[in-house]
Amino acid sequence: MSRKYAFFPGCVLNAAAHEARMATEAVAERIGLDLVEIPGWSCCGASHVQDLDHDAALAANARNLALAERMGLDVLTACSTCALMLRTARKELLEGRKDEINQALATADMQVQGTARVTHILWLLADSVTTWAPLVKKPLSALSVASFYGCHTVRPPQVMTYESHLDPHSMETIITACGARPVTIPERLKCCGFHAVFPAEATADRLTANAADTAAKAGADCLLTPCPLCQMQLDMYQPDAKAAVGKGGDTPVLHLTQLVGLALGLEPERLGLARHIVSPDGLLAKI
Amino acid sequence: MRTITFDIDRFDGTRSWSQSYSFAYDPTLTVLGCLIQIKEQQDPSLNFTASCRCAICGSCAVRVNGNAVLACDTRLDTVLTQWNSDALRISPLGNFRVVSDLVVDWSDKVERLRTANTGLKARKDFTAESGCRQSPEDFARIQKQWDCILCGACASDCNKLADNREDFLEPFAFTHANRYAQDSRSADPLLHVKGMVKNGLWKCLHCMECVTKCPKGIAPAADISALRALAYAAGNTEGKGPRHAAAFLTDLETTGRLNEVRLVPRTEGMIDAATGRLGFTWRMLKRGKLATREAVELFLVDNKPIEGIDGLRRIVRYRRTAK
Repeated sequence: MSRKYAFFPGCVLNAAAHEARMATEAVAERIGLDLVEIPGWSCCGASHVQDLDHDAALAANARNLALAERMGLDVLTACSTCALMLRTARKELLEGRKDEINQALATADMQVQGTARVTHILWLLADSVTTWAPLVKKPLSALSVASFYGCHTVRPPQVMTYESHLDPHSMETIITACGARPVTIPERLKCCGFHAVFPAEATADRLTANAADTAAKAGADCLLTPCPLCQMQLDMYQPDAKAAVGKGGDTPVLHLTQLVGLALGLEPERLGLARHIVSPDGLLAKI
Repeated sequence: MRTITFDIDRFDGTRSWSQSYSFAYDPTLTVLGCLIQIKEQQDPSLNFTASCRCAICGSCAVRVNGNAVLACDTRLDTVLTQWNSDALRISPLGNFRVVSDLVVDWSDKVERLRTANTGLKARKDFTAESGCRQSPEDFARIQKQWDCILCGACASDCNKLADNREDFLEPFAFTHANRYAQDSRSADPLLHVKGMVKNGLWKCLHCMECVTKCPKGIAPAADISALRALAYAAGNTEGKGPRHAAAFLTDLETTGRLNEVRLVPRTEGMIDAATGRLGFTWRMLKRGKLATREAVELFLVDNKPIEGIDGLRRIVRYRRTAK
């Protein structure tokens, strides 16, 4: 496999979820995926900017898409909220806002056409599974893995069109290709609470504790998510959620590319697994 | 003969059970058509609500395999294909009190909808002589919201309501508030915003279930965003929700990227962040999620501005300055 993408890391992959960037880049290198970071990319608005200024979020993402168009590449991101924001902007541009927003872009000598498509590393890995599965060096047959898709990976389906929002299978396809056993939990398509962790903290705590607790009780060695924001919520806040709710607390939460990286034989250090709040050491000892 | 099975959640006021009904596959049926056929041919005791049969009255929403649909507007073939199964579980809407079988109680929901101050209080410059005309452009801004048929699908699958209904409203309430707040004929848009602010406007989880499940293609999450913008512009800038959103916009315009270290104190205030997040911060430092030196630099100096920051600022502010 050799495909080249304009890589949109998003803010958290450069900060608290840096291990997701490490894992994404390591996996990409191993499977022959060429990721070229978009020079000068900006925050996608993180599903918050539109609450104060809708057109500011739209224009910022139009600029991000325009930068990718200059590279002549489609966009790849490893964050579901970034994917949703970029795809929503592209849809809005193509459905009638392009000329108007291009007036804003013209102030920086830029134009957007909407030609650069936006994909998620999840979808790319699921689509190319037959290509990279033969590269699996360390089948994770001892692991049971509960997928946690994350809202913005599949919803709204008008924008996130890759697969059924009701019954997606991309995560299970990848877990199986890694040699692990997929575990289904009721929270699989539920919200982690991340986007309201401050104004609705009690709710976010309960959602986090529920997912962690259910996964553990279902026999999963870890939760697995393709969204770094879900990972941050379920991992970083899991001790607080346990303190508040009284359950969960010991369930490791892996980024999708960390699991793939382990199966491909990449060292845990290269995948940033030591950076997790809930230690994945027990899981690593099993493989 | 292909046989379809509906496992229906039953409730008689005291007792709950699941009852299985099988019937011959018929590609012309809707989900509502199946329910009517079961009631007419198998079990007259099965209760559900329905009226118009053409997606106008909003009374027949149920859940299929846990997901809300408008039964009259959902073909049997669609759900069989979606779930790749000839057996489906049919349940009453979620986040509603169940009266009987698939019948849910709307009385409480209507009371909660009143917080939106539904009903137009027209501008004073309208008179009997001049009328209350509205341009097609202004009507277009609220046209979609007027499509709401109060079926309850958005409320059924809302992740926030499922956790706690005491500090949040049904998504349709925000849609109704926004359609009056954005109406060019409205005397006081804030009349419809204030009740939303008091009832969880900033607590939406952004789970997008409401947008996904609305059978009329309305986006209550977008209405929540629009109401937040109105509230913020009107001075509702305090509180964790508004401050959190403002932090993202500030960072976008200042350096182009999020400053995670400043985000918490900006959202919660310095004192609350320093006292309430000590354990959290310690864990982050201990596990290397945050590097001490990097954190101090981010807090004191900020991110380095992105390449092309001046252009980004002009782009982001263009619409605001043009208004």
